[in-house]
Amino acid sequence: MTPCAVTTGFFTLGKCGQMAVAGCPACGRAVCADHLADGGLCPECAAARNRFGHPAAAAAARRRTYRQRQSQYYGDTVYYSGFDDYDRAAFEPGAAADQDYLDDGDDALVDS
Amino acid sequence: MHRAAYLAFDRFPSAKGSAVHIRHMAAELFDRYGGGLLCVLGGGELPAYQREGGVEIVRFTDVVPNLLDRAEAFSRWAADRLAPHRDTLEICHVRDPWGALPALSTGARLVYEANGLPSVELPYHWPLAAPSTLSKIRELEEHCLQESDAVVVPSRVILKAVTDRGAGPDRVHLVPNGADPVPADVPRPPTAPGRYVIYVGALQPWQGVDVLLRAFARLADLTDLTLVVCSSVSPARARPLRRLAERLGVRIQWEHQIPHADVAAWLAHAELSVAPLTAGPRNLDQGCSPIKVWESMAAGTAVVASDLPVIREVLGDHGRLVPPDRPAELARAIRVLLEYPDACRDLGERARRHVEDGFTWKHARARLADVYDRVEAH
Repeated sequence: MTPCAVTTGFFTLGKCGQMAVAGCPACGRAVCADHLADGGLCPECAAARNRFGHPAAAAAARRRTYRQRQSQYYGDTVYYSGFDDYDRAAFEPGAAADQDYLDDGDDALVDS
Repeated sequence: MHRAAYLAFDRFPSAKGSAVHIRHMAAELFDRYGGGLLCVLGGGELPAYQREGGVEIVRFTDVVPNLLDRAEAFSRWAADRLAPHRDTLEICHVRDPWGALPALSTGARLVYEANGLPSVELPYHWPLAAPSTLSKIRELEEHCLQESDAVVVPSRVILKAVTDRGAGPDRVHLVPNGADPVPADVPRPPTAPGRYVIYVGALQPWQGVDVLLRAFARLADLTDLTLVVCSSVSPARARPLRRLAERLGVRIQWEHQIPHADVAAWLAHAELSVAPLTAGPRNLDQGCSPIKVWESMAAGTAVVASDLPVIREVLGDHGRLVPPDRPAELARAIRVLLEYPDACRDLGERARRHVEDGFTWKHARARLADVYDRVEAH
């Protein structure tokens, strides 16, 4: 197995070490699936070309994968959606919603 | 046991444009697969269960006050309805994330018909929805769009919005809405006023009905002209606009929740049809394909509409475009067209031919059938 050679960590740095799936076409370093950036580049070469990924993107993707896996495992359809009480509070009937919207209980979220 | 299912977190049937859309899209799906399961919202007088030939219609009728709870309860309920058909289900057609989640868990192919995006539309009705909540809803949309085998969109604007959310461009297909041709001899509605300009549709803020009322106030000198508003929502929800109309002294006739079959006659006998959509994120970033515009064109009635990319796509040069959110400009355009009835008639005729030549529901269904062909081939 070729380990991923991308440097990771915030305070204590180290090599990622996961199984590499590609080589960066610019610098030749081995890169794993998690660190593969746009155009198959490693994160540093991608950054050098101004292709910065949003810092939250990777976390969001991991969160998504986790929830999807759990959702399937537990057979819970909406496990994925992950809304909490704070999210729900804004959708209570008394939560400053357009009152006329509530009158005839029309639930359509979108109209063509 | 069904091979196909259509899921929508919408009440069906209803007087809204979304219901017209569901009717045609679901009909194509069920014709193709010899019936199927339709999971929609119920309420009012609608039965919780119906069987129409090979089509089984089940309606979610639980009373759940919180919208997010209701959406999730719908998803769980739909998952239970789909479970017995898991072995035979080949395709699920959905309109929103709440339908897509249970469909994804079946393993059947998924066609996501993106007419709108809750992350864009919800804040209009629920102003307290936090940005973090909306980003979670957006994340949910992204997940469902990315997992779909095909995404069907009614306009190029929403095509861009869904590709921005990660739907692969090769899986996104444009299927514009349409309208059925209106017979030339359709009788005049008995309660129709002499000369009238018409607005048909719902009354959400993005529809710009307030702009139309303000424009109409500038046409007070045309004493034989009435504004007819065929509202797809109840009088209670029209209250703020009714108050505005009273304050402006507009000559207006309200028609609420008239059956869809009767709308064509109202459109066909109008001098003009107006679609005053506003230039907000809902219309500019998310996009739409307003059925009111398609149906006005099919009725051969000239359309005056806001100059927005989504309208230009539908109307092209077969109608009169005016800058959005500008009552004075809208009033001027209406006045000019009323003063040149020949030009107005010609515009309407050209619009009708344009719809007949390529944008009837038959055409839309043929385009959807192509999408199903492609999904099946993969």
